Amino acid sequence: MIKRRSFGDNVLDIFIYMTLGITAIITLLPLLNVFSKAFSADWAVMSGSVSIFPIDFQFDAMSYVLKSKEFLNSLKISVFVTLVGTALSILMTAITAYPLSKKNLYGVKAMLLLYVFTMMFGGGLIPTYLVMKMIGLVNKLSVLIIPAMINVFNMLVIKNYYESLPESLEESAKLDGASNAYILFKIILPLSKPVLATISLFYAVGFWNDYFTPMIYISKPELRPLQVYLRDAISQLSENEINRQQTFDEAQHIAPESVRAATIVASTVPILLSYPYLQKYFIKGVLIGSVKG
Amino acid sequence: MKSVFTKNSISSSTLSLSKKIESKKKLEWHNIKMNYDMYLLMIPGLLFLLLFRYLPMYGILIAFQDFNIFEGILKSEWIGLANFTRLFQMKEFYTVFTNTLVISIYKIAFLFPAPIVLALLLNEVKNMLFKRTVQTVIYLPHFLSWVIIAGLFINILSTSSGLINNVIKAFGGEPIAFLMDNRWFRSILVFSAGWKESGWNTIVYIAAIAGVEQEVYEAAIIDGASRIKQMIHITIPSILSTIVMLFILRLGSILEAGTQQILVMYNPVVYKTADIIGTYVYRTGLGNMEYSFSTAVGLFNSLVGFILVISGNNLSKKMVQRSIW
Repeated sequence: MIKRRSFGDNVLDIFIYMTLGITAIITLLPLLNVFSKAFSADWAVMSGSVSIFPIDFQFDAMSYVLKSKEFLNSLKISVFVTLVGTALSILMTAITAYPLSKKNLYGVKAMLLLYVFTMMFGGGLIPTYLVMKMIGLVNKLSVLIIPAMINVFNMLVIKNYYESLPESLEESAKLDGASNAYILFKIILPLSKPVLATISLFYAVGFWNDYFTPMIYISKPELRPLQVYLRDAISQLSENEINRQQTFDEAQHIAPESVRAATIVASTVPILLSYPYLQKYFIKGVLIGSVKG
Repeated sequence: MKSVFTKNSISSSTLSLSKKIESKKKLEWHNIKMNYDMYLLMIPGLLFLLLFRYLPMYGILIAFQDFNIFEGILKSEWIGLANFTRLFQMKEFYTVFTNTLVISIYKIAFLFPAPIVLALLLNEVKNMLFKRTVQTVIYLPHFLSWVIIAGLFINILSTSSGLINNVIKAFGGEPIAFLMDNRWFRSILVFSAGWKESGWNTIVYIAAIAGVEQEVYEAAIIDGASRIKQMIHITIPSILSTIVMLFILRLGSILEAGTQQILVMYNPVVYKTADIIGTYVYRTGLGNMEYSFSTAVGLFNSLVGFILVISGNNLSKKMVQRSIW
């Protein structure tokens, strides 16, 4: 069907493309600006002439950050927590979801209720803190991992996926005398790779980005993950910007704002590098979750 | 005659019922025994749940105590509702409560419609490269932590060399300390929250729009409906149930105004406009170690929140026959 484009159509299109284009630019602006500041010369940063392109390129601020012992230590901790946390969480969540996917199993409904209730009500900050203190998790890296091992929303997504698998597979395995645990590990989990990959990424991003938990439970500087390190770096600089600006600048010839920007960039790069995967799998996850949450 | 007949049938049916129950119990027991390893698989999750989710709920009891960490929950003195009466008599509490509601309502008013509008606009874009590019860009901030977002905004809003203030200065204006100014801080909160999530939140709506059957649009085009008319009379009505459901659920979490966001962005200068229940609990509890009082504030918050979420879900079930559980 050939349709003549009307004047109104053209105006509409201009409006739509402009609005979306501006939205995209606004989204990119703070990121481009921080990148440019990280790699611009001190005079350009201080005079405020850096916008979205680096001026008089330098790598000193970035190399200063990358050589900082504290930064590297925090990076190491974040990588450790993310890897170990994701592995343990996906294992725990995948196992827990399995019995709960068997509606006819005695007690499953009550168990589900027990889990779902925690999505709507909790002990709150202080009672949870006191429990962690009581069982000796305060100032241990495990406090960042173990209490986050089962996210109920993620578990329900996996449970729904298990329920969608054909039952005949399990039945034939059962006739051959296979145990439920065997069926879970040898049949169900291999079949659930797509959903497990998605949920693993959910967990990984959650562990990587978490600053709240370490802020509450970790006070030892050497156990700070990257997000807390970054938070401290940002607030230190904004608190006595001028003081530090002078001493620091004279010694290093790097604008302190560049160092802050470089710290932000260095902490963002891992997310940017994995973004293609994150985007693809997260969208899948949102759609699985919204079909039947 | 008739009554005898009924009596007989009743007694026989009760007999069969009790037999049925007995055999059902047997079957159940058999079922449990057959699946004992299923129950073993439940144990780690159950322990996790009891230790990290339900034990803290037991700890809520300290809201009714003058809790002393050395005495523990069993020996601390019970003071009834004293913490709550103190709370409701405090002027500070009303500031914090109002801030929570105001920030939340701003966020709902500006940020709830944003992804709907973006999704409707994206749906009209026929150039796939442009559409993909915009989507890829606007989804990105969702993956950045609040700390990074705070860093980005502190950077761009800085009075000495921030991009925004440079523009203001270029036009001859005075630089504004946005993050230190009670008149600006809430706007920054709303904007940065929208910057992070508006793009990402389009996904649900884009999926809902994709579910609309193409024949409906084709019929409308034959009838001469313009694109605006198609949007108003086809697209929006067909995603309305999604919109209503998400709106009601969003209202249910009105007491969560963004604790994690505010905690990295605020400072004592803007407590007046930005201190919310979540941040207040954090400061009184972990900062001032007022465990009992802080728990009472938290309990008030989670009770009201719980009621709102439950009623929101029921309302959604009634209005659009959709709910999260």
